[in-house]
Amino acid sequence: MIPFTIRFEPRERLSRWINIWVPVAAIVLALVIAGAVLAVSGHNPFTTYQQIIQAAFTQPGAFTQTLVSTTPLLFTGLAAAVAFRMRIWNIGAEGQLYLGSIAAAGVGLYLQSLPAPIVVLAMMVSGAIAGSLWAAIPGTLRAYFNTNEILTSLFLNYVADYLMYYLIFDSTSFWRDLTSPAARVFPQGKTLAASGNWPALTIFTIAVPLGLIVAVGVSGLLWGMIRGTRYGFEMRVMGDAPRAASHAGMNIRRKIISIMFVSGAVAGLGGASQVGDFRHVLDPRGLEQAQFGYTGIVVAALARYNPISAILAALGIGVLTNAGLALQGPNFPIGLTGTMEGILLFCVLGSEIFARYHVRVHRTRKPLAAHRAGQVRPAAPAAAPVEMALTGGGEQAS
Amino acid sequence: MKRPLAITVAGLLSLALVASACGTTSKSGTGTTKPGGISPAGAGSQWTTNHPFKVAWIYVGAKSDAGWTHQHDLGRQAVASAFGGRVQTYYKENVPEGPQVTTTIDQLVNQGVNMIYATSFGFQPYVVAGAKKYPNVIFEQATGTDLGKNLAEYGAAGEDADYLAGMAAGYATQNGRIGFVAPYAIPEVIREIDSYTMGARETHPGATVQVVWTNSWFNPAAERQAAQSLVSTGVDVLGDGVDDPAVGQVAAAAGIKWTGYDSDQNQYAPNAYLTNAIYDWAPYYVRDVRAAMEGTWRSHFYYGNIADGSITLAPFGKSVSQTARTAILAKEAQFKNGTFNPFTGPVIKQDGSVGIPAGKTIPVWDAHNQNALSRYTLSWFVKGVIGSAKG
Repeated sequence: MIPFTIRFEPRERLSRWINIWVPVAAIVLALVIAGAVLAVSGHNPFTTYQQIIQAAFTQPGAFTQTLVSTTPLLFTGLAAAVAFRMRIWNIGAEGQLYLGSIAAAGVGLYLQSLPAPIVVLAMMVSGAIAGSLWAAIPGTLRAYFNTNEILTSLFLNYVADYLMYYLIFDSTSFWRDLTSPAARVFPQGKTLAASGNWPALTIFTIAVPLGLIVAVGVSGLLWGMIRGTRYGFEMRVMGDAPRAASHAGMNIRRKIISIMFVSGAVAGLGGASQVGDFRHVLDPRGLEQAQFGYTGIVVAALARYNPISAILAALGIGVLTNAGLALQGPNFPIGLTGTMEGILLFCVLGSEIFARYHVRVHRTRKPLAAHRAGQVRPAAPAAAPVEMALTGGGEQAS
Repeated sequence: MKRPLAITVAGLLSLALVASACGTTSKSGTGTTKPGGISPAGAGSQWTTNHPFKVAWIYVGAKSDAGWTHQHDLGRQAVASAFGGRVQTYYKENVPEGPQVTTTIDQLVNQGVNMIYATSFGFQPYVVAGAKKYPNVIFEQATGTDLGKNLAEYGAAGEDADYLAGMAAGYATQNGRIGFVAPYAIPEVIREIDSYTMGARETHPGATVQVVWTNSWFNPAAERQAAQSLVSTGVDVLGDGVDDPAVGQVAAAAGIKWTGYDSDQNQYAPNAYLTNAIYDWAPYYVRDVRAAMEGTWRSHFYYGNIADGSITLAPFGKSVSQTARTAILAKEAQFKNGTFNPFTGPVIKQDGSVGIPAGKTIPVWDAHNQNALSRYTLSWFVKGVIGSAKG
């Protein structure tokens, strides 16, 4: 018998204050919970957190490496965010990134004798085009045949993966290195000439990859597009109120395809950046192990689909990735790093509910049956919270 | 309204604690972050419990994979126990092939590591770059090809013990049809399948080995599927060259026999299990780390074998007959005393043509003529293998 009910009441307005307070409190709560887990498992939480800061920021070269991990996640995070904002569930950033890598590596190898700026630009353009065309497949299917783009975009990831493997492992393709001794021992792609190596901007001792600069630029562009253009307005309306959009005569089909195009282009750029910034080769095994596309979904969720927040979210996951590498070892099982990451993500994503709803506790003299069973009952009609959750961070993003 | 306040206070407190902890201890931290001052070719240094020699391993998989990475980790543990507190070992598992290898190398060097073993071929470009960036740290790349002043390569002839495992498979098969689940169509795997097949055909003339590729070192689901497809074609022994024992479980369920790979995998399917090649990196790692500690380390290209103990044959499963045991152990003795080499001709190719002429032995790796036929460039199947060596 519980003599009170807990009500979740949607907030009418989302203040700036709550948007900062809730995530910060969530991170602090996560640090406290993770600290308890660390202490119970025999690790000093404070030295552990100190190691995280060292590994991600303060050690020589550490921040440069954090940016290396951040760059692809920002691309795939933006790709997911821009589609999810319109409730187009593009789960295919993984495959779109592969396609971007394939195209950029091909173009980079083919044009290698041209001046570097031209090669770099051509790699970006080709990567974006390849990613967008790959994304347009599930987009078109959704727009015209109302197929479920979650499934079609997901399954196309496997097709893209096999395509990448085919080019390097199962064929004598243009991408494959057939001459070097190392390639005789294990199949690998041809290495790009220097003209295809994207330059990094060095600020003090920190090397900022060109890809990251592009990705931050894309964040700004997407933010401006969603907020400041008619296209973005229509996109928001469709995301938040699809019926109203169709009553207003918006061309939903064209919007769906174009948004998949944009999303795929951003993921494809991420693939081009992998080749140009970091690997200089089409690397199927490495890209497959990295799973940037799927992690991008987490980035988008953390950012509440806001392209500017995505920069912070990608940086956060980049920090966690590198800190995880630094922490694990004989005295620190890899499962514990995963647990800490999980606690952090759970707290931050879970705290959304406090940003979106007032939590009210009411004393009740005559509890209803549901309350007697100790259930938590949302005050709003059952459908409403689901709608709220699905529309994601719409209010903040716009 | 009390709760949020309490949370805020607790939060601020813990933030402050974190900040102060960082402030006070980071100074002592920097003392240990300078790169170890050893020179690969330098004179011997004294390493003590207070000033241990630091060695790190970078694994592509989990150390609990019951296969490739597990064996390397056993080698790491052997190093840790061989030198007591004078050596401190580190490892990083599940490191993806890519720029994060550089991150890991940077972090390890910042921790003062003197020596790094990279145990996946895909790490090589990043290890080569790391060796150039940190000339005072010793790098070693497993199964690789690039050498440098502070960069060595090491591998081991799994194919020698594969020959013996193949002999066991030849004895076990009733219908002469063996299936093999193979990872990648690369020389390392091709020479293992060739050796395995030659062993099987020695004890069961006319036996065939049918190959299915999975294009992965570690993909239990794909391996199970591949093994199942082989079982349905009627093979009565399964072999594999992948990093985990999934194929053994299919063999056990089908009531047929199985040879594993990498480590002693008897426990995963004791009724099906015959034997397999084991990579025992411990003797090499202990020797190699000792040389590095004493300052006698030189860059090298090491290829271990049965004779020096880097490769061993796992204890036989209970169903291996006494006849088979005797014959296989006799052959093992020949490997050890150097009177038998599976890649001494005549070796006949899959299509019936001569692969290695009679009396000729191919080298492990011909550094001067890298395209010449060697174990490292072998790209064709021997007679008796069913399947394409192109994957």
